[in-house]
Amino acid sequence: MFTLNFLIRRLTQGVVIIGLVSLLIFTLLRVVPGDPVRLMAGGMAPEALIEKIAKDMGLRDPIIVQFGRYMGSVLQGDLGQSFVRPANGAATGGANFNDTTRGERAKVLTLILEALPMTLQLAAVTLAIALLFSAVVGIAGGLNPSGWPDKLAFYISSVFISLPNFWLGIVLTLLLSVKLGWLPAIGYHGFAYTILPAVVLAVEMSPVLIRTLVGAVSSQMTEPYVSVGRVRGLGRTRIIANHVMRNASVPLLNLLGIQFSSLLGGVIIVEYIFDYPGLGLLTINAVLQRDFPLIQGIAIVTSAIFVVINIIVDLVATTIDPRLDY
Amino acid sequence: MAALLELRNMTVALGRSETAKVILDDVSFSLAPKEIVGVVGASASGKTVLSRAAVNWLEPPLTRRSGTVLFEGRDIYAMKEADMRALRQRVSYVGANPMGALDPTLPVGAQIVEKMRAVMPDVSRRQAEDRVIALLDAVRIPSARNRFHDYPSQFSGGMMQRALIVDALVTNPAVLVADNVTQPLDVTVAAQVIRLIKELTDQFDTAVLFISSSLPMVREASSRTLVIDRGRIVEEQATEALVASPIHPYTRELVAQTPQIWRGAGAVPALPAEREVVLSLRDASQTYRVKKRNGIGGVNLVRAVRNVTFDVRRGDSFAIVGESGCGKSTLMRLLSRLELPSAGQILCEGKDIATLRGRDLLAFRARLQLVLQDPFGSLPPRTSIGRMLEEPLRTHGWRDKEKLRARVLKVMLEVGLAAELYNELPLGLSAGQRQRVNVARALVLEPTILIMDETLSALDQAEQFKLLDLFQALQKEYNLTYIFISHDLAMVRKVCNRVAVMYLGEVFELADNQRLFFDPGHPYTMALLSAMPTLEEKRYKPEDCLLEGEPPSPLSIPAGCSFKSRCPRAMEICNGEQPFLTVRDEQDFAACHLVARTMSPAERASP
Repeated sequence: MFTLNFLIRRLTQGVVIIGLVSLLIFTLLRVVPGDPVRLMAGGMAPEALIEKIAKDMGLRDPIIVQFGRYMGSVLQGDLGQSFVRPANGAATGGANFNDTTRGERAKVLTLILEALPMTLQLAAVTLAIALLFSAVVGIAGGLNPSGWPDKLAFYISSVFISLPNFWLGIVLTLLLSVKLGWLPAIGYHGFAYTILPAVVLAVEMSPVLIRTLVGAVSSQMTEPYVSVGRVRGLGRTRIIANHVMRNASVPLLNLLGIQFSSLLGGVIIVEYIFDYPGLGLLTINAVLQRDFPLIQGIAIVTSAIFVVINIIVDLVATTIDPRLDY
Repeated sequence: MAALLELRNMTVALGRSETAKVILDDVSFSLAPKEIVGVVGASASGKTVLSRAAVNWLEPPLTRRSGTVLFEGRDIYAMKEADMRALRQRVSYVGANPMGALDPTLPVGAQIVEKMRAVMPDVSRRQAEDRVIALLDAVRIPSARNRFHDYPSQFSGGMMQRALIVDALVTNPAVLVADNVTQPLDVTVAAQVIRLIKELTDQFDTAVLFISSSLPMVREASSRTLVIDRGRIVEEQATEALVASPIHPYTRELVAQTPQIWRGAGAVPALPAEREVVLSLRDASQTYRVKKRNGIGGVNLVRAVRNVTFDVRRGDSFAIVGESGCGKSTLMRLLSRLELPSAGQILCEGKDIATLRGRDLLAFRARLQLVLQDPFGSLPPRTSIGRMLEEPLRTHGWRDKEKLRARVLKVMLEVGLAAELYNELPLGLSAGQRQRVNVARALVLEPTILIMDETLSALDQAEQFKLLDLFQALQKEYNLTYIFISHDLAMVRKVCNRVAVMYLGEVFELADNQRLFFDPGHPYTMALLSAMPTLEEKRYKPEDCLLEGEPPSPLSIPAGCSFKSRCPRAMEICNGEQPFLTVRDEQDFAACHLVARTMSPAERASP
């Protein structure tokens, strides 16, 4: 009953959030300088033709009308068509307005659905690496406050947080892929291509996870139930594994919900460096080409992912700690 | 009889160095099977360290310097850790802080089962569950089978303490060390818990080391008593003999300081009846809306204070008493206008305080000040004491530095704080000194009314006495009116001239001191009096009036009389009709059908 109520409430909130994000992105894209029609039609197209195309596409209507029309089709599962990309895959944006090779334009939904699984795979591998590493370093640090594991955790997170991801990406590529040839780096031709970008992203993510874990574990260790557990006859391993970890996982979970958004941000740069065909690369190209429908589509899909992930995180957190009330 | 548990020359220090402070100094005593031994001492006398040392639970910086503990002749400090853990099946411990003792994210029952199976690996999960449920039932936790699955946050303090007693007794131990178990509980619940420990240990043949700061509490529980002062056992006697003829000067002081309720004349002088009314409540009520956890957008109404009506006159020391959850603190927030009542009025010197705005409100704040309960949380740790005491004056428009300083120093002198503390931080202060700072902070604005919300409950007996003397001196000098919000009836008997007894948000009885303690009109008041730990013979016997269980939830207040579920004298009429405060005498009122019955309707008037 609680879960159902929670889901209804949070999904309703989520729909509102996604709607607001869409409206915001939609409006911003239309007030920034740069006419997408000019980009689509090519620099040499006559002014009258541009006006005609713009009118045909409805780009001269008031923003709110355009938004309504757009959301109407979104609700039917149609995110529109790319302004720039043809359906056959080749990237365009050429100068000739009457280029006959362009043909049909790609559907935004198709483009996103091609890129999204790649990024989700990258995100999953990143999370796995980051969590595993942070758990080892962070829990050891939290169990030995002001001992050497705690200091080590502090140094590691300090170093990691000061490494810029683009630099690390280039250095690791140079080292592991060019010099040693252990891992492939550029493009995507199989799972191995995910590892290097995932390591870079995991390094970016770990410092916050480690600090949170060290803090959460060490503060849980000072809770009375830990000390009382000893006199109740529970062993130290049992207290830590069954109770301290359980309680310390709640702040970590909440953090993961937030970190996921920065992960999707970090993906943009890292995918660009590694030429990894995911959502990040798609976003960058869409922005550079002023591909409004594609940018909007990506924005809606990512905000939907955030909403869903945060709902899941909160649901799991309330399952662990019933006192929480979201 | 051979000793079951024996402490031999136990010396414990705070730290490892030679100069470290010694907390326990050469303590030796023994506990026979099935015996209940009490240990009594003031706060910081080493009681808790003693209880921890007895169960091999000293944690750094506490260090055992010498001595040992024998359990059935085996040295528990020479054991391997695994053996000691196994021995916890036979040596149990219950502490003073029930709320933090279990993992907040797992059900209570599951954790007790976990403990049982950790020290008794042969027991199956089913057996353990059955035993835990049976014991939860035995400590009278209502619907134990459902409660088994509830989380610690869903238990009240009293229930949690009972659950922890189950946790301690579930393995059928030979020794139970109970360290101040009744301290966080209301008197009624504390009385139940003591009775329970006695019953259960009798049933399971458990010996108990019962440690408490309250001599009457120890007397209720134990047959033999040790007195501990500054880490040393100063006296040991059979409990009754100890109370009747204490030998050591410290014990004599302890007995003398235990407040008397019925013996001797009341200490509170009678005040003339016709004095100016300074604070008047007219049907004041407060209802909170709490979001329902299940169900969409639903709210529960918590009726925390219900139709409270009484007058406080100038010079009164007015007490508001009741168990936790009875609405005392909500009433405090209403009186101090931290919240506005959801219905009814509160008049201060004739004006409704809800309508005060701006300058008038500020003037009201200067007239009525608050002294809070927690001496540690209520002072900002990084602000000097002088600065802290100047703060209210600055809020009320004082700017001249010289005058500010002079006023603050005068108040510090009055409450007994040395002038040197002006520039000090509150870090090193004792609880008593901190409470003096709190009192000074309230007094600096020269209020006429002071609300004391459990101000003394964090202090030990001797400190309480000193502060009460201070309060009385200040009252005489400035003609102050006090409102004491308290659960300590002994303190109320000593200093308050008028008492309101609250239960589930209602005032059940309103009477002068003498009348309330000698001729209470409400069965609930009798129950409170019977549950009070005292050294003298009780006027009201627990057998006749002690309550079972705890107050119902304020979410679902029963119809009719809200006390009927626990009242030993409940009648037919109590189910249907809610009793209202009824005049017993000019000054005294009680909300019970027993009172209303004895007089004709014409005589019933509202207070």
